[in-house]
Amino acid sequence: MTQEDFTQTIGLCQFLPGPNIGNASIVLGKRWFGLKGSVVAFLGLFALPFVWVLALGAVYVHFSSVHVLRAIVTGVGAAGAGFFLATAIKLARPLASKPAGLVLALACLLAVAVGRISLFYVLPLGALAAMALSYRKLV
Amino acid sequence: MTLLHLALYFCILSLISVGGLPSVMGEVQRIVVEEQAWVTAPEFVQLYAVGQASPGPNVLIVALIGWKVAGLAGALVALFSMCGPAAAVSWWVSGLWERFKDSPLRAVIQRAMVPLVVGLTAAGGVVLATPGSTPDWRMWLIAVLACGGMLAFKKLNPLWLLAGGGLIGAILL
Repeated sequence: MTQEDFTQTIGLCQFLPGPNIGNASIVLGKRWFGLKGSVVAFLGLFALPFVWVLALGAVYVHFSSVHVLRAIVTGVGAAGAGFFLATAIKLARPLASKPAGLVLALACLLAVAVGRISLFYVLPLGALAAMALSYRKLV
Repeated sequence: MTLLHLALYFCILSLISVGGLPSVMGEVQRIVVEEQAWVTAPEFVQLYAVGQASPGPNVLIVALIGWKVAGLAGALVALFSMCGPAAAVSWWVSGLWERFKDSPLRAVIQRAMVPLVVGLTAAGGVVLATPGSTPDWRMWLIAVLACGGMLAFKKLNPLWLLAGGGLIGAILL
């Protein structure tokens, strides 16, 4: 495929719900080999890592009473949390000149992380607000 | 019964995870730790770390959660529930997306997604960095350093940052 085509496809997969890579495998598999392609692409992507992840999980749980190991793994988790923050900041670049968008993002952040309000409330309300802002080019 | 619960929750999460898994991470934690008490908050961060550090798609984290809740069956149910509904939607929508490439509505929707995905992804990070009821400065120090590292050193393999996090964790935590 061309680079542009690829970028567009990935862009689509980010728009769609669900894990980005999972969807990419489905969409690309479909394009080349239809349903069979999607299934094979998906399984190919996930099968081995699935085994790996559970094996590592089992090993970790077995040794998790060792305090240092717990501390290391928790530290890794904190670093992973940092990745989320970095991703959010990177994605926020188009909002740099759009205060309404930033406020909405902040509101979602507070609702979910501090308020611990279920996404089943936050998402519909947030989506409505976002669409309204977007129509008026405020976002 | 638990398998059914797992399937139900992850199917719904699948459909609302616009922007990928990071967007719903906060919600996954809320359901798994606070609502259903399937794992404790510290366990959640640890499972996340194992999933993150393992090779392969990060969505496998849900497989770990499913496994913790209901063994291998739980892992499979969680993974396919998380990926399945969204995959079905992707299957359908990918054709439509192409056809409406230049539609103004599509542009409106794309722009609207940005603040949502930003806010929700950031929420996922905050929730992971704060497993206790109050923020722990040590977790946040690691998180901020990793965040800064990722932003500043674009070509750096993230595994180095994870390793650094583990190292600091060993010392501080």
